[in-house]
Amino acid sequence: MSGPPRAFVPMQETGGYQIPSLGYRILVAALLLIPSFFLLVALPVAALTFVNSRGIALPISIVAVIVWGFLLLGVGTARSILKPTRAYGPLSVAASLVSLLYLLYLITLSPYRFVVPGGSASIAAGYSMFLELVMIVPAIGLVAGLLTTVEDARAPKERLPFDYPA
Amino acid sequence: MAALVVPTHRRPPAIYRAARALRWVSAIVLVVLILYAGTVAYSATEVARSSVQSRSLSASFAANGTVEVGGSFTLSNPGLYPIQTVTLTARIANGAGVFLGKLGVGPTDIAPSSTGVFPFALYLPVSASGPAVSLLTEDQYLDVNAWGNATYAYLFPISVSLSESRSWGAPFEGFQATVGTPSGSGGALTVPVTVTFSNHAGSPDVGTLTFVIESSNYVDCGGGAFSLDVPPGGFYDQSQNVALSSGCSPAGGQLFTTYSNAGGTTPLPPEAIP
Repeated sequence: MSGPPRAFVPMQETGGYQIPSLGYRILVAALLLIPSFFLLVALPVAALTFVNSRGIALPISIVAVIVWGFLLLGVGTARSILKPTRAYGPLSVAASLVSLLYLLYLITLSPYRFVVPGGSASIAAGYSMFLELVMIVPAIGLVAGLLTTVEDARAPKERLPFDYPA
Repeated sequence: MAALVVPTHRRPPAIYRAARALRWVSAIVLVVLILYAGTVAYSATEVARSSVQSRSLSASFAANGTVEVGGSFTLSNPGLYPIQTVTLTARIANGAGVFLGKLGVGPTDIAPSSTGVFPFALYLPVSASGPAVSLLTEDQYLDVNAWGNATYAYLFPISVSLSESRSWGAPFEGFQATVGTPSGSGGALTVPVTVTFSNHAGSPDVGTLTFVIESSNYVDCGGGAFSLDVPPGGFYDQSQNVALSSGCSPAGGQLFTTYSNAGGTTPLPPEAIP
């Protein structure tokens, strides 16, 4: 009895994807956490502490930066670990929403006003236009997350061979 | 025979491709914005280091009854982005809080890697009836309130306000014009007129100081002129005798003095004659 050689069976038909183990995904997420932590928490906190040490009023409290930073890190890490699951899309949406809320919160603090030590001069710097531009990033991420959510709902595991090719 | 697994070449679903493309776009936009923010921060630091420089601030007599405070300030922009719609307004009041005048500069743009030089001139009316007449005869501190607006790197509006006191040296500090006791006999009476002051301004008092003695019933009793060439920091003390008009008594009247130079004439505060 003859048939097509098994060697030519496409991977999709054989479930051709290889999802990394949970431990491996946690490890990767932890590694990704390091630069994200510096970008979202360590660097802003260091800058604010430096500014504060010069006697200049802070544009935002250090506690707020830490809270928002860890919130973003938490959602981002969960999203990274749960990428092979159906939670990936909703978590992507959630991460984008948290980012948008953080940016909106920062916009409410614009412009940043500070009085030059001595009190003879004050400077106000507005940054809301820039932050509005930055909001494009999570807005696009939000749409992408919605698309993934729809895709996972319509055809579960359809994306896995492309996200995790064997 | 062992199965040989080969990668699939099936095209990803459209919705997957769309989501992936959006994530790429999002990542690229983020990188561009981070680079932009980084260069803006660097450029802003460079601008802050160069700082605004004010130079050649001077005060001089200008057109009739005005003192011109002129000068210029420079703003360097060594950064990578333009400083747009730079405007500056300054409001000056004397030590008593009386508004003297204001000046405005701009709006103008300063291109990257260039320096903007902004000349300005403020004309203070120092006529005897004007609010700034004390600038002629009294050293004082002027309240300068300045505020400016600009947009940096297209997206960052900046406003600055500044309050400071600037010392003002009067060109006729402590000005006194006194009329002495008439002397003489018959109808030929003379009276000594003495003028004293210090020049605390930055420029010399060069010109003529003319004076008129007016009686209490507004009759011109006589007058004269002093020639002035008083350098900055110099003291002036001169007297001269003035022949009085027949029957004219200066007692209870006023002594009017006027400073004249190439810029015009400036009346000084009148002095009452006891």
